[in-house]
Parts: sequence; C-alpha cells; structure tokens
Amino acid sequence: MAKLLGIDVGGTFTDLFYLDEATGRVSISKASTTPGDLSVGLFDAMGHIGVSAGDIDLFIHGTTMATNAIIERKGARCGLITTLGFRDVLELGRRDRPHLYGLHGVQEPLIPRDLRLEVRERLDHRGEVVEPLDESDVLEAAEILRAKGVEAVVVCFLHSYANPVHERRAKEVLQGFHPGWLITLSAELLPELYEFERLSTAAVHTYLQPMVARYVGALKQRLAEGGFRRDVLFVQSNGGIMSSATACQRPANLARSGPAAGVSAASYLARLAGFDNVISADMGGTSFDVCLIPGGRPRTTEETNLGFRLPLRVSMIDVHTIGAGGGSIAWIDRAGILQVGPESAGADPGPAAYRRGGTRPTVTDANLVLGRINPGFVLGGEHGLKMDPDAASRAIEAEVGKPLGLALEEAATAIIRVANNNMAGRIRVVSVERGHDPRDFALVAFGGAGPLHAAALMKDVGIGRSLIPYYPGVLCALGCVTADVRHDFVRTVMRSLDELDPEGFRAMVRETVADGTRLIQDEGVPVERVDVLLAADMGYEGQRHNIRVTLPPELSPEGITAAFAEAYRSEYKQTLDGLPVRLTTLRVTVLGLRPRLDIGSWVAAGSALTGIPQGRRAVYFDGRYHDTPVYARAALPPGSELAGPAIVEQADCTTVLEPDTTARVDRLGNLILEARHP
Amino acid sequence: MNPSTLVDPITLAVVKGGLEQIVDEMDAIIVRAAFSPVISEQLDRASGVFHPRTGEVVAQGRLTLPIFMTAMQFSVQAAMAAAGRRGGFRPGDIYILNNPYLGGTHLPDVKLVMPVFQGEEILALLAACGHWNDIGGSTPGGFAPGATEIHQEGLLINPVPLYREGRLQEDLLGLLLDNVRVPEERRGDLQAVVSALQVGAGRYTDLIARYGADTINACFDELNDRSEQHMRALIREIPDGTYLFEDAVDNDGHVASPLLVHLALTVAGDRMTFDFTRSSAPARGPVNLPRKTCIASCQIAIKHIFPEVTINGGCFRPFDYVIPPSTFVGAEYPYPISGYLESVGRVISVVFGAMSQALPERTPADLFGTTGVITMAGTHPERGNYYVMLFPGAGGYGGNPQGDGLVNGTTALGAANFPSVESVEHRVPVRVERLAIRDGSGGAGRHRGGCGTAYRYRSLTDEIAVAVLGDRRDFLPFGVLGGKPAAGADVVFGSREGEFRLPFVTKGRRNLARGEVVEYLSPGGGGYGDPLERDPERVLRDAVLGYISREQAREDYGVVLEPRAGSDGLVSWTLDRTATTALRAALPDAPGAVPGHPAEAR
Repeated sequence: MAKLLGIDVGGTFTDLFYLDEATGRVSISKASTTPGDLSVGLFDAMGHIGVSAGDIDLFIHGTTMATNAIIERKGARCGLITTLGFRDVLELGRRDRPHLYGLHGVQEPLIPRDLRLEVRERLDHRGEVVEPLDESDVLEAAEILRAKGVEAVVVCFLHSYANPVHERRAKEVLQGFHPGWLITLSAELLPELYEFERLSTAAVHTYLQPMVARYVGALKQRLAEGGFRRDVLFVQSNGGIMSSATACQRPANLARSGPAAGVSAASYLARLAGFDNVISADMGGTSFDVCLIPGGRPRTTEETNLGFRLPLRVSMIDVHTIGAGGGSIAWIDRAGILQVGPESAGADPGPAAYRRGGTRPTVTDANLVLGRINPGFVLGGEHGLKMDPDAASRAIEAEVGKPLGLALEEAATAIIRVANNNMAGRIRVVSVERGHDPRDFALVAFGGAGPLHAAALMKDVGIGRSLIPYYPGVLCALGCVTADVRHDFVRTVMRSLDELDPEGFRAMVRETVADGTRLIQDEGVPVERVDVLLAADMGYEGQRHNIRVTLPPELSPEGITAAFAEAYRSEYKQTLDGLPVRLTTLRVTVLGLRPRLDIGSWVAAGSALTGIPQGRRAVYFDGRYHDTPVYARAALPPGSELAGPAIVEQADCTTVLEPDTTARVDRLGNLILEARHP
Repeated sequence: MNPSTLVDPITLAVVKGGLEQIVDEMDAIIVRAAFSPVISEQLDRASGVFHPRTGEVVAQGRLTLPIFMTAMQFSVQAAMAAAGRRGGFRPGDIYILNNPYLGGTHLPDVKLVMPVFQGEEILALLAACGHWNDIGGSTPGGFAPGATEIHQEGLLINPVPLYREGRLQEDLLGLLLDNVRVPEERRGDLQAVVSALQVGAGRYTDLIARYGADTINACFDELNDRSEQHMRALIREIPDGTYLFEDAVDNDGHVASPLLVHLALTVAGDRMTFDFTRSSAPARGPVNLPRKTCIASCQIAIKHIFPEVTINGGCFRPFDYVIPPSTFVGAEYPYPISGYLESVGRVISVVFGAMSQALPERTPADLFGTTGVITMAGTHPERGNYYVMLFPGAGGYGGNPQGDGLVNGTTALGAANFPSVESVEHRVPVRVERLAIRDGSGGAGRHRGGCGTAYRYRSLTDEIAVAVLGDRRDFLPFGVLGGKPAAGADVVFGSREGEFRLPFVTKGRRNLARGEVVEYLSPGGGGYGDPLERDPERVLRDAVLGYISREQAREDYGVVLEPRAGSDGLVSWTLDRTATTALRAALPDAPGAVPGHPAEAR
C-alpha cells in the first residue's frame, strides 16, 4: 500500500493527483505553471492539498519542459563532429519548406554552422571502413569546440548504425581531451538508418541534457530535504515511466510526456471499464489531442517534428494534435466561411467572457452563451475569475452573427458545430489512416473541455459510447500514477527474409530483451512482471514505407513471412506475391507491469451520493432552449442513470448530455454516455 | 436553384472539411503503398475531387504537389471528353492517361480518373496520380536531355479505360507494363493509386449519404464561387497596369541560344491577364511547355504570393491567358517536353518578377528556379537488379518581405524531399561524398537570398548511366528592389583526366566509370532590397557562419570585417564600424528594380 503522487507540469497549469492506497483517499489540485522555475508551481500544487515530500512513496512526473525548451531554443550550447563533407546535413534537412505555399520561413538549427566540424573518416553502407578515423582531425575539432565554449558534443558519422567503431573511438579521444564534456554518439541513441533524422535526434537529446539534469538534480534535492528518499520517475513519450537517470540520459524521451500520460490513463481506465477499442480525446484550452487505442494498446509512432527541420525519432504515443480548444477563436475567412482555430486566445487574454482583454469569440464563449457552461462558474479557484456571458455574446454577435446574418444562438451553435467538425474530422483521419472504422471504438473524453463536446462528437463520428473519467480535468496527472515502466529499442536489420540468418536474428532479439530487462531491474521501480512485445518494420523490397508487423514468438522465417502477409493484407487489402520481403527494423518493447490500482474504492469514498439534480437551467439544443437538469458529478453514485438533455458539473469540468444521449455511472465512477443514432 | 439558398454557412464549412479529409486520405494511401521512391520518399503524387459536369477541381489534397494544381483538372476534363466519345462513364470505370498536351506535367505522371455514381447519376469525379520512376522511352527515368520529340521520352497514353465497369483490362495493362522499366514495381504504383481512388469513392459515398447529393453539389458551386470572390478581392488591391518581365531558359540542350520567357502581366480591376506572346518559338530540345502546364505555372506563382486562397476551380477564374502555340511555352504535339520543369521554373520566375513591381510588399525575390534532375540508372553490381534513381536538386529561396531566404528549399512547383544519403548508398552503387551548403551563392540583399546546395557522387561500379537535365547557369536567379542575383548552377564531372563539363553543362548524358564523380552545385536565391541596408551585425554573422565571404561582405554589403585572433587562438572576424560607414557612403546606390528590364546573361 503506497502513497502515489502523479504531477503533470503543462504549459499553463500544473496538475496533481495524489492517492493514498491504504485509505483510498484521493486528492487533486491545480496550480499555475511557473516557467522560470517549474518546481515552484509543482510545490504550489502539493501545498494546495497539504502533501509534503515525506508523504510520498512514488513520485511520477509528466512535463512539457523538453518541448518548450526546444521551441524557445533555451538548451545547451552544443558542438557537432561529423563525417567530412556532411556538416550541413543538420541545416539542409531533406529539401523542403515550412508550408506548401508561400516561399518563406525561418530556420534555426540547434547547433549553428560554426560549431559543426568535420573529420576524415568513412564507412560504407555495410559498416565496413572505407577510410579510417583521423584522430588528429578529432583533436583539432575538439580544440576549436573548447575554444568556442560548448558544454556538450554530438558525434554523428555516416552509417554508424551499421558499425559504431568510429563514433566510439571519437568519444574516447574527446573524453581524453576534455573529460567534462557530455558526449552523445548518434548510433548509441538511435542505431537506425537516415543520417538527418538520427543526427537531429542526437542533437535534440544533447541540447536538452544539461537543462534536464539540472532540473532533476534540484528537484531531487528539494524533495530529499522534505524527507523523500526515492527516485523521481518520469513519464516518457511512449507512455511508460523511466528513472530520473534514464531521463537525464535520454531527455528527448520527455518530448510528449504530458499528452502521453493522458493517453496512458485513458487506455488504463477504458480497459478496467471493459472497453477494448477506444479513442482518447483530450480537449484543453488551445489544442485537441487524439490517439487511437485499438485492443487496449495506444498506437505509437517513431517520428515527430518538433519544428521545421527538427525531426525526433523516439518511440512515442501517436498523439495527433489540432488547434481546437476552449480558447480557439472563431473568425470569418475572406471567402466568407466560418472558421474556428487554429489561433487560440489561450489562457491569457483568454475568451471574451474572461474580460481580460480578449474581444474575439471563442468556443468557450459559445458554450457559455448557450448555457452549456454555468454562468456562475468560477474559474480555477486561485483566479476567482467569474465569466461574463454578456461579453461573450457581444463578441459572438460582432464577429460571427452579424457577418453571417445569424442570431446569437445560431451563431454560437455554428461555432460549436464547426469546432466539433474539425475535431470529428481529426478522429476520422486518425482512425481511417490506420485502417480502422471509428464507429467500432468508444471515445474517452477528458481535459477541461473534452466532456463538453463528447456527446456531439459521438454523433458526428457515429460513435456509440463515450467514457468520461471521474477526474477528467487532471487525467494526465492520473496517467503518471497508472503508467507502467516501458522501454523501446530499435535495431536496423535491412535484410530480405531470404538473406536473414534466423539464429543471428534470434540472438539479436535475445540480447535486446536482456538489455531492457536489466534496465528495468536497475531502475528499481516495483513491477509485478516483465512483458516483451516484438515487432518489425517490414515491406516489399523497393518500398520506402514499411508496415508494423507483430512478430510470432518462435521467430521462424515462415512465421515472419506469414505475419507480414497478414498485416499487409489488413492494411492494403491485397498482397504483392512474388516480390521479396524485407525486414528493415526490429522493434523490442520491454514493459514492467506495475500493480493495478483499486479505482472503484475512490468513488465509494466520495460523500453525499444523492443522485438528484442540484438545479436546472435553460440550455440551448437543436434550435431552442430546453429546461435542463444540472447534476453535481460528486453526487452521482455508481448505477445512476441520466437522460439528455442534462448537464453534469464538477470543479474543473462540465459534461454535456445532448438530447438524444443517455448516461450511466459505472462501478468505477466513470460516466458512460450512450448515443442513440438515428 | 440558387445555391446560396440551399447551403447554410455551417454545412458549407463542414462539407469543405469533409472533402479535404477525403483527398488527404487518398494522398496518404498513395505515398504509403507506392514503390517508386519518387512517390514514397519524395511525395510526388496528387489527389482531387472534381465537379461532375465541368471537371473543375473542387478539393485537392492539402499536400498535393503544386504542379498538379490544375493539371489534374485538365486531365479530368480530357478523360470526360474521351468517355463522352464512348457513350459516357459507366460505374466502375477508371480511365488512365498521361498525355501532357491534354493534361499537363510529363509522361511519368500517370493519372487515373474515376467517376462516383449514385444510380445512373455521376456525383463527382475522383482523380489521382503518382510519378512513376520510369515510363519507358530512350532515357531511364524519363528526363531525356537528348529528346527531339515526345515519343523518345516515353510511352504516351491518351485517356482509355483501364477498368471497365470494375474489371481491370489486363491486356491493356500488360501492354503498358511491357514498355516500361522495372514493370513489377510500376504495377505496385498503379495499385497504390487505384486503392486511393477506391477508398476515396467509399468516403465520398458516405458524405453523400449524410448530406444528400443536392447539398453537396450546391456546396461544390458555392465553394468555387467563394474562392473566385476571394481571388478577385485580392486582385483589386493590386494597382492596375501592365507589368513586363523577361527571363530565359539558358538553352534546350541542342541549340546554344536562350529561350526567352516574356510576360506582360495586365491587372485590370479584378482580372489578370498573362500574355506570353513575345516569348521564343518552340525548342528542338525538351524544354517546351504545353499550354496547360504554362497556365498551371502561373497559378503556382500566384498561389505562393497569396497562399491564403483555397484552391479549386473557382480561384483561377479571374485569370486570362495569351499563350500562342508559336511560343515554346504553348508548344503542341510532338515537341519534346521532358525538361519542362526548367521552363515551369522560369514561368514562375517571370510572374514573381512582374508581381514584384506590382506588389513588392508581398512578392519574394526569385528562387533557385531549377529542378536540375540527375538520373542514375544501371544494373546493381551486387544485387543484379536494374535501378533508376532520381535526384532532384534543391537550392536557395529568394530573400522575401519576411526575412532571408531558406537554404535547401524544394522547388516552387514541387514539395519533393531529397533521399537520405545513407539510403541512397544502400540502393545505388555510388558513394555520396558531399552534401553541403554552397558558400557564397545567395544573392545579396537587405534580406539575403538563401545559399544553394552542393552534392557530389562517386561511382563504385563500372558503368552508371547519368542524365542531367537542369538550367539556370547563364540566366541567374534575380534579386528584387535592389537585391542582387544569386550564383547560377554548375555541373562538374571528374575523371582521371581532370574536371570537365558537358557541352551544355546542365543538360546532357554521360556514363560514369568506376571512380568518376559528378558534382552538382545548385543556385541560391536572389536578394530582396538594397544590401547596403542590411544590418552590419547580420553581415558579420553571415561571414562567421560562412554563408558569405569577407570579400562579399565588403563588395556586396559595404561591410568591412577585420581578422581578429582571439585569446583562444582562433581567428575570427570583427566588424569595423567606422570603415563600414565610410565604405557604405562611398558606394553607389544599388540600382532599383527596373520594370520590364530584360534578363541579362552573365
């Protein structure tokens, strides 16, 4: 029975979830994020619920710190040592531009050109040495980098994924020259083909490393002063947790930490609630994050772009983001068509209704005008900010109603419909792109604004059921607490199946699994058992794009061939018999499964389960106002059933039941919405 | 019925989003399933939804390459006419074509057109296209510098049904594939595009089921009308007048004389006319443009200046074109066209040149302006397979109102990526020896043009057939508003005898023997504004990073840099402010942009 603390430091808010397993007591809190020193907001959030460092057994952290440092270019001064002729790869990228139309754009490489140096060495594509490493070149480069005051050095040579010998030797030389340097070898981080992507990934890690190490060190020290003696754990982009040591070694694994924690919680809750296939939908103030979770496992992706010409190849939960949130601004384009987002009023100045200088209508304003959000609602306790429906009405009338000739409620409805359509479109694309029909899925809606729109999204996409978690406003923090330990490994194989040596391949798998298992043991997070997932990226010889194939446990060539054929057919409805099949990359995931939490007990611990509405108000649905019951979420006991139209309110979130929606509360306290589709 | 009474603004916005999702999904399917690296890695493909009666584009993939902007519409219209001659489309038909005089672009872009039926009524046409790595003909890959008629450039396909009422015409397909290189991969490319059409048709049928055919049709008309209104509003903000600009393609690879592209751009109220009458006559070599490609090129240039306009059949209605068949930008069958990308680049340049006079606050300086495709082909010495690899050039973008030009930009007419060096070495028996920023090649300006890119390849086998089809060596990417031109292209071969160039330098063929090299140096972008107005600190930074030399800082920017040995022993530059002020005062003002100034060969 442990005391668990999950904390997600987002761009605007720091969310906290605290569980004392012995008593079943849950506390949640929110504080403003403090960009200068993130730990201030973090300790504020702990202070709000009176938790001190000594009250914690497991401290698990999600954060957007890494992404923000990249966007604001606030990382380390790094140098690069690379193959003669290729120092500009990092700046050249792969020949592109930021936008398809408009021939302009800005680029700021993480390592500027004067800190990118070349040395004589060359390997061929098989990893054979064509030209030996010239160590005097390495020393000369090291002299220059020292003179220029870099604190970290990236070493990236062509084809190092096939043979790291030159990168390793260069590291030895550099360490001998300047032991204080942090040195990253590209193939050690990512033994994978594609020099630009590998180099960029190595640069991102290195750029972040000193900053993350400093943060982790300071945080651990402060927690230790308060009596916390264990490791601070971090949620990675793949949704699993890692030790602080791993986080310091591979800080780019934090890139999508917060959203990944949310997805991880969504899949956890869905599994417990008996849903196999779900789509997570996190709608906050500025963005809408969607992730497909077929068969209870969030989809992952191997590459994302942190900016123009800034690819990052690490395994991460495949979260798709569009600019649709409560703060998204409604506007009329020059062709006279209503648009919502991607521009957002954010939290500051925020929607017109906040009366903090925002005059443009937002999705939140539209929800407020239609009665979907309680006009008496006080935003985030500490602000004590009351919303002003009149300001919202004025903004909507001026910028949407008048130009389109719509009455106030029609204009507000239009804003919500267009925003919903954008989000529904994203849900469809995310699922159909992967060959899934979204109608076979349930939606898990969370974030401050997700539950406001879930019922409408179900209708738009044709989804039958939605799950609204008991704590939708702090789900990412909850996700920190529920996450398993997870490590992903890649190995480049690049062989056609006829050429693949089965014994050698099995040995590669065994070694990788052993590495992962050892890492989990070394990290020391209590786990119940270790699971291994084996997959490969495969395609026909000649195709650039691969499909992900789950490998059969015995790893026989016949079994691998059959698994590929089945995966290919399910993706493209056909196979291309007669062409050789190539196995490009081996992917090994090692999971340390943590004990399950007893979520049902949290609800039973709630008080005053009356199940009766706390009031009624007029809410606009389908062209008219309906006298609508309003329930307090905390007063709904498991088993309650509601019929729309209805509103369910809790401290940081409102759930809307559209007229043809019903809802029940399951034994875990989730609100399960069901839509009656015509 | 008046469409505006039928479509409420909300439905319109929702249907627009729905159509865009369909074409984006089609684009994604083609890329994922294709075999040609030029599709799968360089994204050379297109998808669109077209009006059932006019064939006008209603929606196209948001990442569909610009050159397909209206080429696909012309292809659809050609397929409609062909179907009409056969008694009309039938459900399950898919037409195939690549005739560039009918549908624009070039032979390797094989286009498929498919009707979507509800009962007996056609509700929409879907079309999609992928660039095949080879289309037969004299030169692997289809970029044929030696061609003097189209038949040497590959297989010419007029619109015919590849599927009749759902049945694949195996005989026809067999005949096509027998005439291209690496046919089994081309079959895979074709299947990728067919899959995209089939998925698109399914999604489209769902959309119809939801909103009804009448509403969707009304949305088609309304969306096109609105784009038209939007474009007209933008044109009205351009001062009326006729703006002249002239530039040239260096040569056609056969005759050593430039081909002038002369544009008289007339803005009158809310219409624009692009008149190319005074351009050169059709060329013997493959740099001709069919009229339809010339039109698409003008549209690309305008869309780059006004990226906010939604592309569909409506937005280009306010444009008129005068492109006589007596010019090489309005060439007809059977003039060869496989080097058309170079001429497309030049048409885009002259539109920028004319628009920079009309609307200097929105128009960038010229970009590198050449696709400069290097094709390598042969039999792989180890694997024994026949390979065709296309290397499209990149280059610098022009300085622009927002800032300096990018390096290693993709062409204005495309968005294709460059293959990774490591994957190239896995596929082709070459060693890439250099991939680098080409120092000093950007045009000087208040906003500097981006530098070009340098690539060097060495053959690791006895014979690699190399074809080069580029341009922009003599006529340089120009600056605007006092900005200077960029460095031009160069293609240098190296053998035991030393360095040498092909007779037409950027156009021609040669086999590389083992150990021989070819190096391509792409142009930079032109400068924007007077270089003497550039902040000296930024000039210093450019010199420190090596984008410009110390001499360029002095001569082009009037900035004096002195070497300084730091305490660390490194020599770097320091800015001499006093000398800079004096030098800048002494230098003559940069000449302003002269309207109609004819291109100047260097």
